[in-house]
Amino acid sequence: MKLMRKAALLMAAVPAIVLITPVGSASAHGYVSSPASRSAQCARGDISVDLCGQAKYEPQSAEGPKGLRNCSGGNKDFGPLDNDGLPWKVTNTGQTLSLTWTFTARHATRDYEYFIGGTRVGYVAGNNQQPNNPTTHTINLGGFSGRQKLFAIWNIGDTVNAFYSCIDLNINGGGTTPPPTTTTTTPPPTTTTSSTTTPPPAGGTWAANTSYATGQTVTYGGSTYRCRQAHTSLTGWEPPNVAALWEKI
Amino acid sequence: MKRLVIAVAILALAGCGGEAVVPAGQEAHGHGASSAAPPVPGASARFNDADVTFVQMMVDHLQLGVSLSQVGLAKATSKEAKDLAGAIDVTQREELTMLKSWLKLWNKPEGDGANLHTAHGGQPLLDDKVINETKDKSGAEFDQLFLNLMAGHQGAGVEMALTEKKDGMNPETTAYAERVVTSRQGQIAQMLKIIGGA
Repeated sequence: MKLMRKAALLMAAVPAIVLITPVGSASAHGYVSSPASRSAQCARGDISVDLCGQAKYEPQSAEGPKGLRNCSGGNKDFGPLDNDGLPWKVTNTGQTLSLTWTFTARHATRDYEYFIGGTRVGYVAGNNQQPNNPTTHTINLGGFSGRQKLFAIWNIGDTVNAFYSCIDLNINGGGTTPPPTTTTTTPPPTTTTSSTTTPPPAGGTWAANTSYATGQTVTYGGSTYRCRQAHTSLTGWEPPNVAALWEKI
Repeated sequence: MKRLVIAVAILALAGCGGEAVVPAGQEAHGHGASSAAPPVPGASARFNDADVTFVQMMVDHLQLGVSLSQVGLAKATSKEAKDLAGAIDVTQREELTMLKSWLKLWNKPEGDGANLHTAHGGQPLLDDKVINETKDKSGAEFDQLFLNLMAGHQGAGVEMALTEKKDGMNPETTAYAERVVTSRQGQIAQMLKIIGGA
């Protein structure tokens, strides 16, 4: 009983303990989303999860010490990002390239650096401030041409680390595809792919990556559901899991 | 009461690795079903500190996501962005109802999510000021900003859910964390395709 009273007293300290306990993987992060960096391509599903590994789930977490010239930050879970042999999509560009970062947390920023090989082609000071929303940089590619790998590096102001993104480029039409100069940075027109615009037949089986309109019905697991809110379906939004989107009828 | 003290004692003695049990008779299963709203899935009674921290942080995280979604619903110009905002809005409200009921069942406060995030080393992307500033943008520029912020915010949710999958023990909470990982990953894929071009 004495022990229990002690324990009850201890309990008073527990909330404080919870508050100051650091959680290792929860202090993130950022990546280049436009043009789609290797990390972004993994998150988009352009490259299969078997090939991408953890980058599919955490494109923002290719973190490592400052000063590296790789795509993974030397982080082995993100090793596939360093593999030049994977079928990365290549962005056609002229000498001027605009890049947009997506952040999951707004670290105070020392600066941003952009390298092709050993040459620093871009630098943007961060002044130890939190990044702007959105953060877009326009850099000059320093006379490089043809197929190149651009290292985009976000150097954090208050840690020893940096976040790494790699963008595969074809500069000035060095390859077989003629480069449309600035199309990679222009917001795409508001069209959807055929898979998301074709309404499934009424009563069809629910499928992921399909555009459903309010009122449409689907079957899933032997039950019928009516769409309550227009959306494009995805894994994790199966009708039984999201009553907000699907009403069982 | 004695049972509650024992539960508390177990939690306290075991520190962060501890687990707790809801006192007998207080387990809730599908409560809330009496109203017209869909039933709220109950959480079982065994949980640990990681479950509680995750749920408390998610409550704050979901509320910020709902706030941003509301702006997206009002201002997004593309159908894809607007639909996504609407779907995130309703699904996250549903998740909020569920998570708050779990905290109540576990006799835990909703907590101060913002402070929890700071204490866990995070510098959350969203706050009221950032969300308000998006209202100054319009047209395609707004869509890009909205999608960029939402993609980042949902990415932070994935990180929290991965931590819960590793450290949590409550089966409903870890199953929810798995759904957070998959559904946010799907949302982020949709958003990145709009942001970066197909």
